[in-house]
Parts: sequence; structure tokens; C-alpha cells
Amino acid sequence: MSGSPNSASEAAPAPASPAAAVEPSAEPLNVLIVGVGGQGVIMVSKVLALLAQAQGFQVKQSEVHGMAKRGGAVFSHVRFGRQVWSPTIPKGEADILIALEWAEGLRWLPYLKPETGIFICDTKRIVPPFACLNRRPGAPLRYSRETPADVISQVGEGYAIDATQMAEELGNERAANVVLLGALSTALRFPAADWEQTVAKFVPKKTVSVNLDAFRRGRAWIEEARVVTPAVESRAAEAPAPADPAYRVRLDIVAAWCKSCDICVKICPERCLRLNAERIAELAEPEKCTGCRLCEWLCPDFAIRVHLEDISAMAADAASEGAPR
Amino acid sequence: MSIDTAAAFDVTDYLRKQMMPHFLCPGCGHGMALRALLWAIHDLEIDKDALAVVSGIGCAGRLSAYIDANTFHVTHGRPIAYATGLALARPDLHVVVITGDGDCLAIGGNHLIHACRRNLKLTCLMLNNEVYGMTGGQVSPTTSQSRLTTTTPLGNAEPHFDACALATAAGAGFVGREVTRHVPKLKELIKAGLRHEGFAFIEILSDCTEIFGRKNEMGSSPEMMMRQKSELRPSAYRDTVDTPFRANDLPTGILARNDRPEYGAAYRSAAAAARNGAR
Amino acid sequence: MNVVSAMPAPAADVRLLSGNHACALAATAAGCRFFAGYPITPSSEIAERLSLELPKVDGVFVQMEDEIAAMAAVIGASMGGLKSMTATSGPGFSLKQENLGYAAGAEIPCVIVNVMRGGPSTGMPTRPSQADIMQARWGSHGDYPLIALAPASVREIYDETIRAFDLAELYRTPVVLLYDQVIAQLSETVALGAAHPRGRVERKWASGPAADYKPYAADGDAIPAMPLPGAGYRTHTTGLTHAEDGFPTQNPEAVTRNLSRLFSKLDGRRDAIDSWETIHCEDAEIVIVAIGISARAAMRAIEECRAKGVRAGLFRPVTLWPFPQAALREAAAKAKAVLVPEMNTGQLRLEVERVLAGAPVKGLNLFSGEAIAPAQIAASITALAKEVR
Repeated sequence: MSGSPNSASEAAPAPASPAAAVEPSAEPLNVLIVGVGGQGVIMVSKVLALLAQAQGFQVKQSEVHGMAKRGGAVFSHVRFGRQVWSPTIPKGEADILIALEWAEGLRWLPYLKPETGIFICDTKRIVPPFACLNRRPGAPLRYSRETPADVISQVGEGYAIDATQMAEELGNERAANVVLLGALSTALRFPAADWEQTVAKFVPKKTVSVNLDAFRRGRAWIEEARVVTPAVESRAAEAPAPADPAYRVRLDIVAAWCKSCDICVKICPERCLRLNAERIAELAEPEKCTGCRLCEWLCPDFAIRVHLEDISAMAADAASEGAPR
Repeated sequence: MSIDTAAAFDVTDYLRKQMMPHFLCPGCGHGMALRALLWAIHDLEIDKDALAVVSGIGCAGRLSAYIDANTFHVTHGRPIAYATGLALARPDLHVVVITGDGDCLAIGGNHLIHACRRNLKLTCLMLNNEVYGMTGGQVSPTTSQSRLTTTTPLGNAEPHFDACALATAAGAGFVGREVTRHVPKLKELIKAGLRHEGFAFIEILSDCTEIFGRKNEMGSSPEMMMRQKSELRPSAYRDTVDTPFRANDLPTGILARNDRPEYGAAYRSAAAAARNGAR
Repeated sequence: MNVVSAMPAPAADVRLLSGNHACALAATAAGCRFFAGYPITPSSEIAERLSLELPKVDGVFVQMEDEIAAMAAVIGASMGGLKSMTATSGPGFSLKQENLGYAAGAEIPCVIVNVMRGGPSTGMPTRPSQADIMQARWGSHGDYPLIALAPASVREIYDETIRAFDLAELYRTPVVLLYDQVIAQLSETVALGAAHPRGRVERKWASGPAADYKPYAADGDAIPAMPLPGAGYRTHTTGLTHAEDGFPTQNPEAVTRNLSRLFSKLDGRRDAIDSWETIHCEDAEIVIVAIGISARAAMRAIEECRAKGVRAGLFRPVTLWPFPQAALREAAAKAKAVLVPEMNTGQLRLEVERVLAGAPVKGLNLFSGEAIAPAQIAASITALAKEVR
């Protein structure tokens, strides 16, 4: 197998930004693609691998999709160049890190080349169930608290792109991965037409048009980002950090409707309900109640109603009226 | 945006409060099924005046009386047939049938299979608690084998009906199954059924805790409900008599979809075409 | 009106029609917009004709999976606001009885045609009979009133079908149209549209504020206004005994009040409901009481007998249930004896004996699957006249 590229010389001119002009030479070019199951990580890596091969490079693509059921972490290493020996990218060696999910992107940051690596990350947040520490709505999650600005400032060149939103605007949320492909395409010297042909091969026939739109949208976004801001700086899509709401839970229990079946008491995850002396359900430990509503939903007698009362709003109301109600 | 996104649905907005508390036994799963239906109605913003509920006889049949809508509590086994007339007469109404396992599969079995075949837009909720509860706990077509009832003192020797397989085979446009314990999932399933243009059959696995549960020593109401998917019924579905339980092997969710022409619309358009041709 | 001598008016729509087709055409003329049925001899022509006629008037025809479903669907459609009908015969009429009782109890207007054929059980599907007279009245369990009409000619089937809808809608009751196989499949020349204002009757619908509305509360006339689904009333309809609010009750007073009203609804309107025909009853020594094809045979027999000097007359109930008892008592006041020819073992005679308690009542019963011939009736009249002279 030939180790020399036979078509690289025909590649399109480099994009405006010099920093993005990554060209594989003696060392293979390393692209790490990460996300969670169902997002299309493997598709992105296959498109890249196939395209690189078509451009005359030797390609190694290795993926882990054991958790490829929806929601599980998925990653794929794509390495290409004149000669590629190892299938995986060592820590700190990735030239480009493409992340389809925000926290996955952060998790893989150590794999990026510290000074020159390019980080392209969707701001989409997919919170795994085990990151929910408590059932209170709006309760803190064991999920990344870094804002896009925090992260982008730490990498050589970074882009936090709301690809999911863009894809949604185009009419197909599932095309978010192709938006990211478009973004990736600006970092490599492959002709745009070749990218588009390869994308078209991979997506279902009915969705070719929306996917090509998505590709161009991602490509245009990055190019615009480079024009607007100096290349050394980075651009982040706005993603407001959620604030923890202050609230209090109140349970209305209609004693006349309660039939003492004990279901609410037994299914309460916080064990904060009990049957009183009359065997009517009551909230024994209000401070433990998270307002998860399981008792409301599963009460066969419609006797329980959960109210989450916004304390901050109440305080504001009270202040505006000058007296507590 | 409010933190309390579920707060918008207050089930009592859809209940006839003057009829409460309802007459079902403590722990009866039917109340949860009713909540899921009313929640689905709320989510889909179906006007209560445009909602017609037709129910048969038995514990499930009594639910219609608690719904603040146009409700019809008809004869044993016949709610699908009554609803067929009502829906053909009034395509502007959302017609929901609430029936039980005996009502729907035994005395009313013929109406079920033909409704599946005819594919008139109706949403049929069959509340399956494996027993004739109202009459005192007799064996029903869905009672699992070996279960004790007041008419199977030696244990039920008859095989059960898999209602969803039946409805699918009969050509129902939409077939689904869910347990009452998963109220939000059940609600979503009912919503999908209500949106379906055709006959939608949904089996809801409910618990008769006071009669069936006691007779078979299945534990308290919460215990029965918690085990809905894991222990109680797997042997009754897919498995034959002597094979062991397969925990959590109960198929739920949308089990079949079949987008055939909706009967009422097809009839009206054929009639209109004939009228126009005659001119 | 003499049913067999009714001649078409010159300008009328004159057709040769079978009884069953006349029934179907009358139904759409009366405003029927829903028919659910199931094939059964000898009533199937009604369904067949309506499957053609109803789509023309934006109505719905549906053939259901069984007789029970057909009756149920008819009630369902009527609850939805359409004038609705089903048609059947013997075994099918038996199967419809439970839901017929529902219509009576929940006061849902509907029309049920029963073309009588030989029984019991499957009996003689293609042979006539008049053996469902008592079933028409008492077929469903429990106590309930209903109206049954017994036309005797094709023209009368047409008129009585329209009247059946009018009575059903006006009084919120099931109405049974009862005729035998002979006139069902008999074709006669009839003039349509001359006699009856077509389909003018509208059900009494609920109006006014929903908050004050009680679906089974009747102001003076004992007929509660019916809620139309979608009109904002959101009521409950049940086959359980219900209170004025429509919800189930076992309160003894409420139960008594409701069932009493149900009966008074028809009892108080006998002038409008009762209908009959009398021929030569004024001077008759022998009064014949008969319906359907037997009444038509009796008309011929009466002429023959009168020619021979035996004064016979005919009392023909057209409204069979409630039985026009006052009219019969008047018609038979001077008679020495009453003869009841019927194609069964004596069902109509039972009612006649009740009405004319103590009077001599004889039966002429044929249940061979054949219609009673005029000569048989004439012979019975002659014999009875000798007996009582």
C-alpha cells in the first residue's frame, strides 16, 4: 500500500484561518470523536475515515460502542497519514477533538494536544440518570458546571457550537452530528465537494438534503466565527447556566378520599409519608420530600396533590406587598 | 418557566368531584389507569365537551361515571359496539372505551375483534386485572393458569388470553400495553393511542388487590404494584404453563402499528363520492 | 282507513314496493340517519335497501358483527343525536332484547323492526308467524314500557315506520315495528308521501344553563330533555337505576319515582299513541281481533259472512303495545263473542281476554308456517255465531 497521498495536492485551498490548516505529513493526523449512544459518533468517524482513505491516506479507525445503546458513552479514534501504526490516540495527541455532547467533550479534553489542538464541541447536554443526585427539580447535578467560555479559554482553538439547535432549525435534530462534520471540515484540507459526497453516501436517501444543509451550516458557522473573532480566540455559543430554584413542597391530602391502601407510603423514595392514627396518608417528614410526585401519580384514589411552591417568588411577592400573606 | 412542569395537570379538573371518593377498593389499580387517561386528555388539550367515554360493566366499567365528560355506562360486553354507533354518528367526538378483561374478551370478545378489523377511530382501554372483581372474584379470560378464584378453587386450568396478540392478529391499527405503576409512560401510550387515526387497543395491567390479590396471597397493594412487571404476569405472557417466570420479560409499549384507512372517514368519502356521481 | 282499499292519489309518487323496501324508504323519509344491522331472513331487504339509501342522505349504514352489536350501535348513534334504526327477525330479536331494555331504561329513542318468522329458535326462517307479540312487549328483563306498532299492509308499513320514529323521538322510547313475513315480502302498489308530514319531529334537546341541568328531571310532561354530546352538558347515561342527575342510585324513593315516570310517560299519552282500525263493529255480533296478515284475511271473511247474514266485525290494533284497550272495549261492547285468529298458540288472545274480562273469547290458531286463510276465519265465525245465538 502506498504511503504517499496522491490527491492531497489537489486539495482545496486552506481556510482563512492558518491555525486550522492541519495537514498530515510524517506524523498521522489524530481526530477523536466522542459523544453518547444514538447521536451518530460512529457515523461522523466513518465519514471522516472514508474520506481520508479516498484522499489517499492510510486510515485507522477504532471505536468503542459497547455502550452504544442510547445514552451510553461512545468514542471513536480516527488516525490517518502516510503510515499509521497504532489504532488509538494517546493522551495529549489528538489534533482535533469533536464532541457531540458537552460533558463528553470535557471528559476527553486531556487527549487534546495542549497548545495546538482544535476542540469542537456541541453544547448539547445529555444528563445521565446517575448524575441526578436528588429528585428535587432543578437540584444540582453531578454534571459539568464549566461554561463554554471557561473551557474554550483553556484550549488552543475551541468552538462551542449549538449544533443540535441548528439541526433542529433545519428540521431534523438528528442531523446535529453532520453540523459538527461541517465544522470539522474547515479544519482539514479536503475539498468541500468530497465531504458532501461522502456525507450523502452515509445518510438515508430521504434526509440527504437536510443533512447537506446541516453540513454547510456547521461549516459556515465556524468560518463566520473565525472572521468575527481573531483565530487565537474562541467563540462559544451561548448556553445559560441553570440556576437552582428555591422552592418548598406542600402536599394536599384529601382525607375523605384516602382509602389507606398504603401505596404512597411504600413507594415514596424518600420514605417521608406515613399513615396516621386514622390510617390516612400524611407527610411526616416534609423536609425530606423532593416533590417527585410519585405519590400523586400512584394514589389510586386521587387523594394526593403535590405543590411545589417557589419560595423566591413568594418572598418577592411578600416584599412587594410589604406584608406576608 | 416554572420549575413545576407537572403542576399544570390537576386530575380533579377532569373528575366529577361530587362522585368522589370513588367506589373502587383500596389499592385498586384502576384509579391509576384513570389518572393516566385524564392526563393524556389534558396533554392533548382535548375539550371535555368533545370527549365521550363509553364503558361496559364491571369495576372498569364504573370509571366513566367519575369523568367530567359525555359518559355512557352501557351493557355488559358491549361498550365497543355502542361506541361504534356513537363514533360513526359523531366523528367530531373523541370516543374512548373503558372496558375490563371479562367485558372485553369474554362476553364482548366478538366486538373487540371486529372493531380491530373495521378500524373505526376509537381508543379502547382494556383494564386487565385478571379477574371478575365486581361479582366477587371469578376466573376471567386473562386469569393466569393455576391462580385461585372463586370459580377455580383448584387453580385455574384454562390458558389465558393474550389480548394484545389477539388485537394485533385481528388487524388493530394500534396495539399497546403498559402497567399502571408506570403512570407517565401509560399516559404517553394513551396519548399515542388517542392520536392514532383508527382503532387503538391498549391493555392496561391493573391490580385487583383486595379480591384477586388476597385470594392468591400476593401481598399488600404496594407489594403487588411494585411487582407488576417482574413477577406477577410474565408466566401468563409468552411462556407456557410449566416454564419458569421470566422476570421483566413482559412486553410493554407500542406493540403493533398498522396504518390502514380509518373506517369512518373511508365510509364518508365513499358516500360523498357516490352522491356526487349521482348528480 | 281501510288498509287494503287505500288507492293512490293521482299526483302521488306511486310505486310497487315490498313491505321491507317501504320500511327502508320510510325510515329515510322520517329522518333516520343511522342503521346498524345483521343479515337475517326475512328482514334483510331493509338493511340492503338502507345500505343504498343512507349514503344518499349523508347517513350511515353499518353491518355489525352480530345482532347484539347492531342494537348497541343503534343506541350509541342515537345517544350521539341521530335518528337510528335496526331491523331483524326472530332469533335476532331475542338477541337484541338486553340492549332494547337499556334503551327503554336510559330513554334512548330508537326503532327496532322485527319481521316475525316461525319459531321457536331458528324455526322457519322463510315462513310467516305472529308469535313474537308477547316478546315484543315483555322480551327484555325487568319492568319497562315501550311502544309496538303492527302494520298490515305495505302502505301502512310506510306510514307506521314514520310514526315509529316520531313516537320514539317525541317520547324518548324504543319503538318496535312488528310485522309478519307475508307483508314484509309482499309487493303492493303504494303512493308515497301523501299522508304524512315527513320527519318533522325533533327530539326534545336540553337547552339552558348546564349548571342547572339534570338529565332525567322532567318538567310536567314526564319527558326529560336529552343532552346532546358536545353541547356542554357532560352528563352520565347508565343502565343502572338512576336518579334525576343521571347517576346510579338505589334510593327507594328515587327508584320508584323514576320508574313511575317512565310508565306515566306513555300512559299519559294514550290518545296520541293508541291507534286501531274497526270495520263493521257497530252492529257486529262477532268481533274479530287480529293484526297483520291475519287481519287482512279476516276482512275477506267478514265480507263473506255478512253476505250470508252473519254480522261480523274487525278490531285491528295498529298500535299493539300499549294495547288500545279502551277502543277494544268500545268496539266489542255489543258483541256476543270475540274471535282472535293469529299465527301462534294464542298470544293476542291472552291480551284480549284480559281487556274483555269475562266475555267469551275464542282463538283461531295456526302455527304451521302458513298464513290463515279467509275461509278458515269465515268457518270459525260461522261456528261461533251458531254457538252464541
